[in-house]
Amino acid sequence: MTAYVLRRLLGLFPVLVAAIILTFAANRFVPGDPITIMLGDQGGNVVLERKLRAEYGLDRPVSVQFVDYVSGLARGDFGLSFRYPGVPVTQVIKDALWISPLLAAAALTLAIPIGIALGVLAALRRNTLADTGIILILVAGLSIPNFALAAFFVWGFALKLGWFPVAGWTTWKHAVLPVVILAIPAAAYLARLARTFMLEVLQQDYVRTARAKGLSERLVVWRHSLRNVLVPILTVCGLIFGGLITGTIVVETIFNIPGLGRIAIESIFARDYPVTMAIVMLFTLFYAVINFAVDVLYGLVDPRIRVEAVR
Amino acid sequence: MNGNVEVVADATGARDFLRRFIRTRSAVLGFILVVLAVATAVLSPWITPNDFSRTNMAFIWEPPGQDFVLGTDAVGRDVLSRLIVGAAVSLVVALSVLSIALVVGTTAGMVAAWKGGWFDAFVMRTADVTLAFPDLIVAILIAAMLGPGIPTVILSLAVVSWPGIARITRSLVLSLRSELFVDAAIVSGTAARTILLRHCLPNIVPALIVRASVGVGFVVMAEATLSFLGLGVQEPLPSWGGMIRDGLPALRSEPHLALAAGTALGLTIIGFNLLGDGLRDLLDPRIRER
Repeated sequence: MTAYVLRRLLGLFPVLVAAIILTFAANRFVPGDPITIMLGDQGGNVVLERKLRAEYGLDRPVSVQFVDYVSGLARGDFGLSFRYPGVPVTQVIKDALWISPLLAAAALTLAIPIGIALGVLAALRRNTLADTGIILILVAGLSIPNFALAAFFVWGFALKLGWFPVAGWTTWKHAVLPVVILAIPAAAYLARLARTFMLEVLQQDYVRTARAKGLSERLVVWRHSLRNVLVPILTVCGLIFGGLITGTIVVETIFNIPGLGRIAIESIFARDYPVTMAIVMLFTLFYAVINFAVDVLYGLVDPRIRVEAVR
Repeated sequence: MNGNVEVVADATGARDFLRRFIRTRSAVLGFILVVLAVATAVLSPWITPNDFSRTNMAFIWEPPGQDFVLGTDAVGRDVLSRLIVGAAVSLVVALSVLSIALVVGTTAGMVAAWKGGWFDAFVMRTADVTLAFPDLIVAILIAAMLGPGIPTVILSLAVVSWPGIARITRSLVLSLRSELFVDAAIVSGTAARTILLRHCLPNIVPALIVRASVGVGFVVMAEATLSFLGLGVQEPLPSWGGMIRDGLPALRSEPHLALAAGTALGLTIIGFNLLGDGLRDLLDPRIRER
């Protein structure tokens, strides 16, 4: 098991290296000199310009800048923001840090039970009207983009019915629509998988044996089938988290939630590269860690995986 | 003689395929939606009732009615005309992305499988690393460097789409390598390029078509998402994602813009996904849902 975990950990390395190089390159080699932009109408002020360049470390060779960047990252220091001159990036994103993961986690918590329940129900009612209906709902849930869904939900539930606020981030009511909208595609994806796996499991010999020895349908489903569906479902949770990260960026923009996703989009338009790249780093790291955790869990649950991977 | 037999076999194969396809209700529904979207896109230069880019301050936020079937937007442009042109924009972007991803992915996958060794390892590790970035994060990275616009959309979606195609191509070519006809080609001194293009490629095209058809829905959705965030298609060109963004602030009094664009976008992606799933189940039982 230790060898397996170490191997997985080593697998994170190339991703981190790629992320560091790409974000550094994006920070340094984008068109337009950030200091010139920052100076604005004080363009002729050579003293101020030199001071700013030194403050941002832009007066040194690129290789030194790169070493500084990497050692900064190791200390959790992302440098200084361009939009707010002199303000550290960490200061800009500090308060937003937990909002995106929180939204994603809430959505996943909501999506897992609903998704599995729908999928199992469809599998048990295979080829009936209920099954077809569920499948069509799932396709719609997977196909309608979250911002289009948001348009319909805000119009219906917030404006017409007045159940929830339109946007903002102060009370728990503000979180309901964003989380539900995030959870819908995740639940639909999980349900499709659960249905496929459940159909497979229901054809296994041990399920037939369980039925043959007269166990109630409830026991067959709960004790003998469902457990075997949960393991493969676990492996796709990493993938789903990737989708949720994308989703939080969109949902935060729509509902005006001050999370990392919204700040990332704002920073692109404000040409605040250090902030944008810090968020790219954080999301990538977050995604990598989630996938690592899922791999380790999967190895724990299923011995075949870790033996195969090490071999 | 031999040729005749093959033609007959192909005809029954096609008829059989058509029969099974028609029996799959959801695939037929998807097919109809896709045909509608594609026809709208192709015919867009002729069927728009008004100029999609002409602003008219006398008719801002007109509700749906006689003059403007789906109303107008904040600067008085005809929503229906913009939806129709938006279909063309969306499908052209999707087609470009898939073409690039197919060419790059297939080439990389075929050469990796054939050469093996360090090149294979390099291609596959590059694919792994690419997939380790969340899709939208790749797009944000590229948008930060190139600035928002159609090139950014096409490049970032091609970047996230090629690894999947490369992986499938590689595994298919690897299994073809042990086939007798490939051995025969090698022994008779055929160049590697010819073997790959003439002997291997035709065998993997059906699987690639299935893979691409399953991917169209994703690409259309991703383009709309980027345009919604302002990173994609820029004014004055209409995009469904951009129209929803423009419509959201006015949702209270003029919901027609966001809801019409949302419906068009949703139905189109549902269509592509239903058709893609149907084709996958019919053509290639090997690629199971994962």
